[in-house]
Amino acid sequence: MDEFQEILQDFLVESFELVEKLDEDLVELESNPDDLELLNGIFRVAHTVKGASSFLNFDVLTHLTHHMEDVLNRARHGELQITPDVMDVILESIDLMKALLEKIRDTSSDDGIDVSACVSRLDKITGGTGEVESPVAVASQQEEETVEETSAQEEADEDEIDYDNMSPEEVEAEIERLLAQRQEEDRKKREAKIAAGEEVPQMPNPDEEVSQEEKKEEKKTTPAPTPAPVKQEKKEEPKAAAPARKTPAQVEQTIRVDVKRLDHLMNLIGELVLAKNRLIKINDDVEERYEGEEFLEELNQVVSIVSLVTTDLQIAVMKTRMLPIGKVFNKFPRMIRDLSRELNKKIELVISGEETELDKSIVEEIGDPLVHIIRNSCDHGVEAPEDRVAKGKPETGTIALKAYNEGNQIVIQIDDDGKGLDPEMLKNKSLEKGIITEKEADSMSDKEAFALIFKPGFSTAAQVTNVSGRGVGMDVVKTNIEKLNGIIDIDSEVGKGTSIKLKIPLTLAIIQALLVGVQEEHYAIPLASVLETVRISKDEIYTVEGKSVMRLRDDVLSLVHIGDIFEVERILDASEHAYVVVLGLGTSKLGLIVDTLVGQEEIVIKSLGDYLKGIEGIAGATIRGDGGVTLIVDVVALMNMAKDVKATTLTENSESSSVVKEKTQASDYVVMIVDDSKTDRMIMRKALEPMGITLVEASDGQEALNILKSGDYNFDAMLIDIEMPRMDGYSLASEIKKYNRYKNLPLIAVTSRTSKSDRMRGVESGMVEYITKPYSADYLASVVQRNVNFKSEFL
Amino acid sequence: MSDKLKDIINKQNDQQNSVVEQLDDVVQLVGFMIGDEEYAVPILSIQEIIKPFSWTRVPQVPNYVMGVFNLRGAVIPLIDLRAKFGLQTKKHSEDTRFIVMRHGDDVAGFVIDRLTMAIRIKKENIGPAPDTVNGDDTIIEGVGKQADKIITILKVNKLLERDF
Repeated sequence: MDEFQEILQDFLVESFELVEKLDEDLVELESNPDDLELLNGIFRVAHTVKGASSFLNFDVLTHLTHHMEDVLNRARHGELQITPDVMDVILESIDLMKALLEKIRDTSSDDGIDVSACVSRLDKITGGTGEVESPVAVASQQEEETVEETSAQEEADEDEIDYDNMSPEEVEAEIERLLAQRQEEDRKKREAKIAAGEEVPQMPNPDEEVSQEEKKEEKKTTPAPTPAPVKQEKKEEPKAAAPARKTPAQVEQTIRVDVKRLDHLMNLIGELVLAKNRLIKINDDVEERYEGEEFLEELNQVVSIVSLVTTDLQIAVMKTRMLPIGKVFNKFPRMIRDLSRELNKKIELVISGEETELDKSIVEEIGDPLVHIIRNSCDHGVEAPEDRVAKGKPETGTIALKAYNEGNQIVIQIDDDGKGLDPEMLKNKSLEKGIITEKEADSMSDKEAFALIFKPGFSTAAQVTNVSGRGVGMDVVKTNIEKLNGIIDIDSEVGKGTSIKLKIPLTLAIIQALLVGVQEEHYAIPLASVLETVRISKDEIYTVEGKSVMRLRDDVLSLVHIGDIFEVERILDASEHAYVVVLGLGTSKLGLIVDTLVGQEEIVIKSLGDYLKGIEGIAGATIRGDGGVTLIVDVVALMNMAKDVKATTLTENSESSSVVKEKTQASDYVVMIVDDSKTDRMIMRKALEPMGITLVEASDGQEALNILKSGDYNFDAMLIDIEMPRMDGYSLASEIKKYNRYKNLPLIAVTSRTSKSDRMRGVESGMVEYITKPYSADYLASVVQRNVNFKSEFL
Repeated sequence: MSDKLKDIINKQNDQQNSVVEQLDDVVQLVGFMIGDEEYAVPILSIQEIIKPFSWTRVPQVPNYVMGVFNLRGAVIPLIDLRAKFGLQTKKHSEDTRFIVMRHGDDVAGFVIDRLTMAIRIKKENIGPAPDTVNGDDTIIEGVGKQADKIITILKVNKLLERDF
C-alpha cells in the first residue's frame, strides 16, 4: 500500500504540474489554432494523465481524459476546427479534470464527481460514434474489477471498437494501459495467493505476463488485423521519442524536497544569523578593549568570514524556497479569456518577468490579490470595444502583468490602458457612501483618492456584476499585501489607464529592520515600511485638532510618538531634537517620533508564543546581538492605533521626581564611591566615614549605573574614578546625566589623570569637581560636604 | 564477573521497581515562597530554574506580565506571581528566581520570591482546593498537608493560560 501511495503522490504532483501548463497552452491555442506543436503538447498531457490514471484505477478520470484525448486527436489531425465553442468545452473538461485530481488528492478516490454531461458534450464534437461508446467503456471497466478472468476478452472487444479511430500513439497507450491493468490484476492475484498461505515463486510471474500478453495480442490481431502491424512499427517510435522528451528534465537535475525540511533549514539559518550578529557585537567590544593587539586582526578576519558565509548561506537557503512567480501568472491568461467572453470585451494579457522568483509562502499569498486586481482592471478599467473605438483607442484593451526585482523587493506591476481612475469621482463616491468626510475629501491628494478604492465597502461599479462590484475584492488586496509587509502604489490618468504596483519583500522570516530607541527601550521597525527618517527640532511639530503634525516638504505628515503607543515611561530627559521615522504602508503615511535611531540590522522574526500573541502593535520579537529581546513593530496595527492617540507635549517636565527628603541625621546623606581599585575605595571610605554619612561602593561604571537604576538609594553625590573596566568614568557621567532625576546629582571625579584635556573631558561629561590623586582626607571630605550641602549641625 | 553483573542488574531492577512503587502514591513538588505563603508545583512541569536576568517590557498587557526574555534563543513570557496574586511588587533580591514551567507547548517564566525545597508528599495528604474557590476556574490544584504547615499546589496549565 505504501508503494501505491508513493506512486499516487508522484502522479498527483506530475498531473498538477501538467494541468497548470495546460491552461496557458490552451488559451494560446485558441489564438493559434494551427500550431501543431502546441496541440501535440496538449494532447500529450491528456494522454499522460489518462495513462497514469487508468493504471491507478481512477475510472472516472480515465473516462474523462479519454474523451478529451479523442477531441484533441481529431483536432491534431485537422479533422476538427478549434472554435471558441469547442474551446469552451475543452476548458470545461480541464476544469473537471482539475476537480477530479483535487478530489483524488483529498480522498484518494475519484468518485462523486459527475462527468457525464461534459463527456457527452465532448462526444458531440467528435461526432456520433463517441456517444455510443462511452457507457460501454465505463461498464466494461467496472466489470474488469469484478470479473478478473474474463476481462481480457472484454477488453479486446472494447478495444476493437476503438481501433478504427485510434492513432498509432493511442494504440500504444491502450496497450500500455492494458498491460498495466494486467499487472495490477496479477499483483492482486499474487497478494490473494499470499494471503491464502500459498507460496508463490517470484520468477514465473513475468513469464506468465508475457504469455498472457502474447495471447492478448493474438486475440487482438484476429478481430482487427489491420492495426496490428502498425502497432508493431510504432512500438519503436514512442520509445525513441520518450527519452528525447525526458532529456531536458534530466539536464535540470532537480530533486523534490519536503517543504518542512526547508522550513527547518530556514529556522536553523535564523539561529545562525542571530549568532552572527552576536559575534559581530562581541568583536566590536573586544576591539575597543584590546586596541592594537595582534590577535585582533586574526579575530577580525574570522568574524568577517563567518558573517560573509552566513549571509551567503542565508541567501542560498532562501533561494531553495523560491518559486518563479510564473506559477501564479499561469492562471491569468485563462481568467482573462473567460472574463473577456463574459463581459463582451476584447482584452489581451501581456505577461513578462514570469521567471522572477519569490519565496514560496509569498507566492501562495499573492494569488488572490492579483486575481482581484486583474478582475477589477477587466471590469472597471478596460472599456467596451465600441467605447474604445470611439475614443480612438485600439479595439482590444491591454492588461500588462509584469514582475521584476527592485533591491530587496519584488515589484508586481499591473497596467491597463482603460479609462483610468478619476480622483473627483472617487471622492464623491466615497462621500456618498460615508467612507470619508467632506473635510478629508478637500484635503486629499490624487494619490490618496486613488487609495480609496481599497477601502472596505467601496465600489464604483454602478451595478454588481458577476465579476466585481461587491466592494470586497480590493479591500482583500490591501489586507493581503499588508500582511506580507508590502506596499501598494497606484498611478492613474483619466482616459489613459491605471498602473498598480505591489512591492513585496523577498522573504518573510528574516528581514531588514530599523532599530529605534525610545527612552531605554528599543524597537525594530521592518525596513520595508520605512520610507525615510528625518531629524527635527521640537518646534517643527504643530498641533492640529489635538493631533501632532509636521511639514515634510510639500506634505503634511501626521505624527505620533512611539512612547505614547507603547506606554513607555518617561525617565530620560527629553532632548531638543527628535527623529521622525516616516512609515509608508500601502498608500498611507505616518511619522513616528522616536528618541534615537540605533541602526539597521538583519533580524529574525520570532513569535511571542500563545501567551502573548495578538498584542496590538507588536508583530513579534527578535533576539539581538547582546542576547536581549527586541520587539518588532507591527506597522499595520500601529497606523490604526495612531488614529486614537492624542498629541502629547514632548517637553513634559516631570520635576516631581526630585522630591528632596529633609535630612535629619548624618546617615541620611548617601554617597557612592565608584573605583575599580579596592585600595582606593578603602582610602575614600576612611576619609569620609568620620562624617557619619552612608557610603555605597561600586567597582565599575556599569555596576554604578545598575545601582542607580535600581533606585534603592537616593544619592546625594558620587565619587567617580576615570579609568575603570567595562565603563569608564566619562561614559558613566554622561549616562547618568541622561536621566531626568539625576540631572542635578553632583559628580566628583577622583583620578590620577591630571592633564588639562582630561579635566575638559570631565567637565564636558558633566562632572562638577575634579580631584587629583593623591589628595588629603580632609580635602576630600570638604569637597563632598560642599557638594552635598552637608548641614553643619551634624559635624 | 557475570555474577557480579547480574547482581548489579538485579539491584538496578529492584531500585527501579521501588521507584515505580513510590511514584504511584507520592507526588514530587518544588516549593517556593510568594510573599508569606508557600506554594508548590509538580517537579515534572518545571523545565528549569534560573537566576533573574534582563527582560524586555511588552506594552498593553496586565501589570503581572513583566515582558519577555531570551531563553537560549526562544522568546518566553515572564510573569510576576506576586503581582498576579495581588501583592505589592518587590525589587528582585538575591533569592529571586525565574521558574520556567512547561505544559504541552506552552512555556513561561514565573518570578518567585524564594525557593524553599523539593517536596515529596503522599497523595493521601493532598486535599482538594477549599470550597470557597470552586469551579474549574481556580488555579489551585489542591492543598498539601505537611507536619507543620500546609502548601498550596498550583495548576501549571492554569498558570500558563492567557487570561487577558
